[in-house]
Amino acid sequence: MTSTWTPYLLAAAILLFTGIYCLLAMRNLIKLFIGVEIISKSVSLIIVATGFAKKSILVAQSLVVTFIVVEVSLVATALAIIINLYRHTKSLDIRRLSKLKG
Amino acid sequence: MTVQILLLVGLVLFSVAAVLLKDLIKAAISLALASLLLGILFFRLGAPYAGAFEISVVAGLITVLFMLTIALTKTGGDVAESKLLTVAFPFFFAVFLAIDVLVTRSLVLKIAALPAAPEAGAFGEVLWKQRTLDLVGQVCIIFAGVLAVLALFRKRSKDNDD
Repeated sequence: MTSTWTPYLLAAAILLFTGIYCLLAMRNLIKLFIGVEIISKSVSLIIVATGFAKKSILVAQSLVVTFIVVEVSLVATALAIIINLYRHTKSLDIRRLSKLKG
Repeated sequence: MTVQILLLVGLVLFSVAAVLLKDLIKAAISLALASLLLGILFFRLGAPYAGAFEISVVAGLITVLFMLTIALTKTGGDVAESKLLTVAFPFFFAVFLAIDVLVTRSLVLKIAALPAAPEAGAFGEVLWKQRTLDLVGQVCIIFAGVLAVLALFRKRSKDNDD
């Protein structure tokens, strides 16, 4: 199992790192959301790759289909929130979102 | 296997480009290309339904939503990113890659895989019969998403408008 699984595991870890780095380093709200998307790609890749390696691709596939539907719902809501925030602050910079700061 | 590795390399490169590109439209297109490669990879791994969903929904619909948001927020889109963190990305990337390879070689390959029961039947049977609860959850989440978008874009009454 492991020899076929290793490249996918490596690639998924790199994608996860890239997404988390984007979330930590970027200041643009849309860029942050691109980071979230990259993390979700990493998760769906590792689910399908594990299903392929363990010969249970059907369950993995149905989980990924569910995951994609949830992802679309998440994207629609998050982009609506970003547009609303832009209408309030006239900027996409997260540093200007300090109204709720304690 | 070579094709799969090339697809994985392309997926990682386009994802990194999506993070590092300054132009948001180019970043969104790069993300769509990464999704396209991931969809092709799903087809190669024997998951055609997941691949079709990935290409049509993630590479298509989500990119359109991203483009729409970028177009609607065009005037405020220029945000100065931290140059130090952008320049330091290749260094952190190389360090993580080295740690990743070492951990995979030394730890993950030594862990025995859990036994899995062989599965039979078609994708439809698994999705509709075994994962029924997931479908109920999907429907609930879609409704929640629709309600959230409606609430966020509702027209404000004149009394509350300030």
